[in-house]
Amino acid sequence: MIESFTPAGCGSRRRRRLALALFSLGALLSAAALGAVLGLLGTLLPGGRAALAAVAVLALLAAAREAGLLPFPLPQARRQVPDSWRGSLPLPAWSFGYGAGLGAGIFTYQPVATFWVACAGAVAIGRPAVSAACFAFYGAGRALMAALPSRAASPAGVVERLGRSTLALRRANAAALTALAGLLLLVPAGGAEATTLSLGPGRQLDPSVSNGVLAHSQREGTATSVVVRPASGEPVVFEGAESPSLHGDLLAYADAQGIRVVRWTTGEEIARAPGRLSKPALEWPYLAFVAEDSRGKRLVLSNLETGEHGAIASVGLRGGLGRPALAGGRLAWHVTLARSSSIMLLDLASRRRTVVERTRIGSLSHPALSPTHIVWVDARSGRSRVLLRELGSSRAPRTLVESRARGTVLWTTALEGSTAYVARWQQPTGLVTLQQIRF
Amino acid sequence: MLPDLDRAADGLARGLAASMTRRSLLGRLGAWMLVATGGAAVAAAARPEDARGFHFCGHIWTTGSCPSPYELPRIDAKGYPLRPADGRPIDNLGRLVSPAGLPVDERGQRLLDPDGRALDPAPRTKICEDWVPERFGIEAVTQGVWYRCCNRQIRKLVDCCSTHRIRVNGDRALVGYCYRGRYVFCVMYYETGMPC
Repeated sequence: MIESFTPAGCGSRRRRRLALALFSLGALLSAAALGAVLGLLGTLLPGGRAALAAVAVLALLAAAREAGLLPFPLPQARRQVPDSWRGSLPLPAWSFGYGAGLGAGIFTYQPVATFWVACAGAVAIGRPAVSAACFAFYGAGRALMAALPSRAASPAGVVERLGRSTLALRRANAAALTALAGLLLLVPAGGAEATTLSLGPGRQLDPSVSNGVLAHSQREGTATSVVVRPASGEPVVFEGAESPSLHGDLLAYADAQGIRVVRWTTGEEIARAPGRLSKPALEWPYLAFVAEDSRGKRLVLSNLETGEHGAIASVGLRGGLGRPALAGGRLAWHVTLARSSSIMLLDLASRRRTVVERTRIGSLSHPALSPTHIVWVDARSGRSRVLLRELGSSRAPRTLVESRARGTVLWTTALEGSTAYVARWQQPTGLVTLQQIRF
Repeated sequence: MLPDLDRAADGLARGLAASMTRRSLLGRLGAWMLVATGGAAVAAAARPEDARGFHFCGHIWTTGSCPSPYELPRIDAKGYPLRPADGRPIDNLGRLVSPAGLPVDERGQRLLDPDGRALDPAPRTKICEDWVPERFGIEAVTQGVWYRCCNRQIRKLVDCCSTHRIRVNGDRALVGYCYRGRYVFCVMYYETGMPC
């Protein structure tokens, strides 16, 4: 292979440089393409901690193999580059083809297990661009393996010397794989994956999720609607509606008349609360919403079966009170005053209320609840974060996702199981997209 | 010669600091390399944590800035945050606010949320008395002031003082202009508008 890139193999020094350049380009491109394909594949498969842990286990197995502790065969395509190409194809074609074939990695012999661990990692993280960039380094390595020895007086001698260092290289490889496994096992403890959902044109915000069904507000120009997206089947659209809250097959939303509760599968109206009402939260039979009048805002909790209702909190015109969340028999909401901002929690059975978090130097808003956890948005000094805390825990909240750009604001949230959603609002463009965060 | 050197070092430090995140490994490595080559002062300025402290006209290499909505802790006469670029009042998120404390755009119109409703206000609190205690878990109070001529106007430099002996830079705090028993934790500034 190396001899292909000597003047004897190429015909002249100029042609050798051209061949090496094209070989390198082919190797880089095909390696990056492989990374992108694997990353794309990863987006179709379940990821998260389990996937990263699986890669860590693979890395440990590979390290044991490299250290000679656990011999096992690797998937191999023991092909070499087709020598006939050099005779039948022009130099640019065969040199680029050789690079592409070797850069892709899967068409040639792999003496070590590292390549396959990297492939598994690319699938696990499920981010095509990142995987492409990482795999480009593999392509660069392939290019250097051709370029560096060909500069020596005896290219074959360089390769032979490298072959004599196999033991040391394998040990170094084992150490690197062990370190990688350690890092992978550490990262999931604090990491979370955020994926921007492709939900078509317009702005998507105010997510709500129940039993894996996602609902959100959809804005296109001045038109607004609520879209309910079941896991399978066509989306269900409610025109003129906004700020959805799902609970099973029930949906509450705000419209021009007030709050409406419907069975989203059939469109049947279950309840209606007229007035200047907004931001509903539903956990049947409870409905919470914000009522606004000339004096300020009130958070109202209503029992739709008994008809009982009452104000839970209120603020004046200069305060913020907002998007409540109901789950597991608890109600969460945010209160923003001139000198502080808080996330509040009310136990519906005991009527005991607690302050989840309070700050005097930021803004806490848009909480979402599950029976075991709470998330909210913490904004301060031009950055915003989605924070997660286990209910009843006094531990510091965990950051799920963060925006450090002053013009990009994390907005409304939703939570179910180990998946959170947040609307990401780019203020300069007005674009709002939904992000799914698995933690 | 020395002021030129000082200015050049300040520029280098600020450039380094501006290009770093707080946890930038490369930034820290760069700072260590500067130490190794004898530029101890520049390296100190290049610490990501301290980057904000080196903007004060005539006030470099000393106590760092207090935390604030923007990098520079510009305050009004009562200690509330102002936008450094033009001195307009801002809330704790860095948004311009009306005299009533409501978030507004550059033209003074209410900011709207993605639903087209007026955005809720955010808290607007004092940099020294509110921000420092929450961020650092210490009590703090505005005390000493001193003055410099900056950009042809008198700038009032304000000390945020605490009984804590370690200042925002992470090293030993100075007595500065604080009353007895207090030390300068961090500094802020107020543009008086008086020519000099």
